[in-house]
Amino acid sequence: MLLQAIINGILLGAVYGTIGIGFSLVWGVMNIINLAHGSFIMIGAYLSYTFYIAYGIDPFLSIPIVMLILFLIGYVIQRFLLNLVVRGSIFITLTFTFGLQILIANICLLIWKADFRSINLPYSGVSLSLGGIIIPVIRFGIFIVAVILTILFYLFMKRTKVGLAISATAQNYEGARVVGVDVRNIYSITMGVSAALAGVSGALIIPIMSINPFIGGPLIGKAFVISVLGGLGSTVGALAGGLVLALVETIGTTIIPSSFQNLLGFVVLVLVLVFMPQGLFGKRSYNE
Amino acid sequence: MNKKLVILIILIVLLVSFPFVLSGFWVRLITNIFMFAVLASALNIISGFTGYAAFGNMVFFGVGAYTVAGLMNKLGFSFISSFIFAGLVSVLLALLLGMLLLRLKGHYFALATLGAAEAIKYIIDNLTDLTGGAQGTTIPSLHGGPFFVNSVFYFLMFALLIVIVAFTWWLSKSRLGYALKAIRANEEAAGVMGIDTTMYKITAWTLSGLFTGLAGAVYAYWFSYIDPPTVFNVMWVVRMFVIILLGGAGTVFGPLIGAFILESLSELIWSQFLNLHLGILGTIIIITVLIIPNGIVSLMKTERGLKGVIENIKKSRTNAL
Repeated sequence: MLLQAIINGILLGAVYGTIGIGFSLVWGVMNIINLAHGSFIMIGAYLSYTFYIAYGIDPFLSIPIVMLILFLIGYVIQRFLLNLVVRGSIFITLTFTFGLQILIANICLLIWKADFRSINLPYSGVSLSLGGIIIPVIRFGIFIVAVILTILFYLFMKRTKVGLAISATAQNYEGARVVGVDVRNIYSITMGVSAALAGVSGALIIPIMSINPFIGGPLIGKAFVISVLGGLGSTVGALAGGLVLALVETIGTTIIPSSFQNLLGFVVLVLVLVFMPQGLFGKRSYNE
Repeated sequence: MNKKLVILIILIVLLVSFPFVLSGFWVRLITNIFMFAVLASALNIISGFTGYAAFGNMVFFGVGAYTVAGLMNKLGFSFISSFIFAGLVSVLLALLLGMLLLRLKGHYFALATLGAAEAIKYIIDNLTDLTGGAQGTTIPSLHGGPFFVNSVFYFLMFALLIVIVAFTWWLSKSRLGYALKAIRANEEAAGVMGIDTTMYKITAWTLSGLFTGLAGAVYAYWFSYIDPPTVFNVMWVVRMFVIILLGGAGTVFGPLIGAFILESLSELIWSQFLNLHLGILGTIIIITVLIIPNGIVSLMKTERGLKGVIENIKKSRTNAL
């Protein structure tokens, strides 16, 4: 029972990790808490849903298209809106991104209506059994995709010129400018990458979770906990934060009533913030 | 006697006469504007003056409302005594949370207050015997005709608003207010200058919590039904922030002007475009932040009419990359 809960937690944790990576990327690089990140996840989930329902494309196969669309959405929002307020105070950016969030929620409400949507794949009942432990194939696939994307993201940040430019801008904005980094463009790419990761997270949760236009709020709550747990510094931290939250949730359900689950997440958030604000893997600046 | 004072007196006389001349709909609408003006003014103390983004400030609103509900339902208290207790509970909560969370800064403080508010929401949600849990709870409503009831809540909120505006006005000129502004400008420097920053920050948040809690107390009695998702909704705080940004952070009258504009606009939108109201609200937020991040009050400080206002809008766009 406990072992099963741990396995479930690890499988879910990888998805939580991708949520956390995208969210803390923007926070770490631009010093913005993007309250619209949950909405990006939601758009990803809805797109994946629509590709499946309307064209019969398997959600795992539509991931590249979803990522591309979300990248463009993120890029455009940053380039033409967020770049105009990015140097403002914390009230400005928090309020602004919240405005974006409710605007996106309303657009989704008009397109997909208020009903809960989910998809039921033909192989959703298939599972592997390993010595009494059940591993549903879908959850295993989701885990694999999330891990691969995390690795790709890590390589992107460490090995590509753009990734290094993002890290440089995060560490020293003026310095990056001096050596010829186009900060406007880099910020827009950063938001695009963050949105693309959010899109993948959405595409990965739609086969296992039902969504409606108001899911953005609860999802952003999770993103807070994950990135604070992991600390702002690193990809590894976000992945670890995702794993910890997922494990707390899955193991928590076996011990305490489910109505206390949300409480647990927020108590962990406050305690970590107060007693170890660097998180589990935090560093002074992003990707240092 | 100066001109400003005359305008203020005329305004107060006008506002006092409203319940006697306007219909119930308008009286309730203005009561609502008063409530948001109180909430925004309360947030203004910690966020506008002190520069701390207390994104979980609705926790005091919810706790104030639930204190009234609990005391009136379970212990048979009168509204007046429950109201006073709601203030006390809010103050205690703010002190406790302040000591714990005000050592954090910036985004970390914002997130921690939000986390604490959500945690307290779920606690109240789970204490079903005491609070009615997720189903919410009803509060004995005020007896009397609609005119009487509307007028009572109108004047309660109005009184609260006058108290907080008078307080903010005093604050803007007091030692405490200067200390808070110094913390906003540069907390380390303020500390070096001999300001006990921790004490002042906790004082500011406690005052903010007190007024927010009192507004929540009146709200509970006014609506006579509350549930956790409503009174602990993060939308309250977002509206307060938008109001402050619209009106002008750290000013005395900014929250009033902001509340008037945002709440009358929302009412108009809510009644006209039911399906689009969230989207339009989102658009208003985005446009406000883009165009007038320093608030309408900052635009008013010009002597040169419309031309000066436009110049000020251009000047205030310092947040762009």
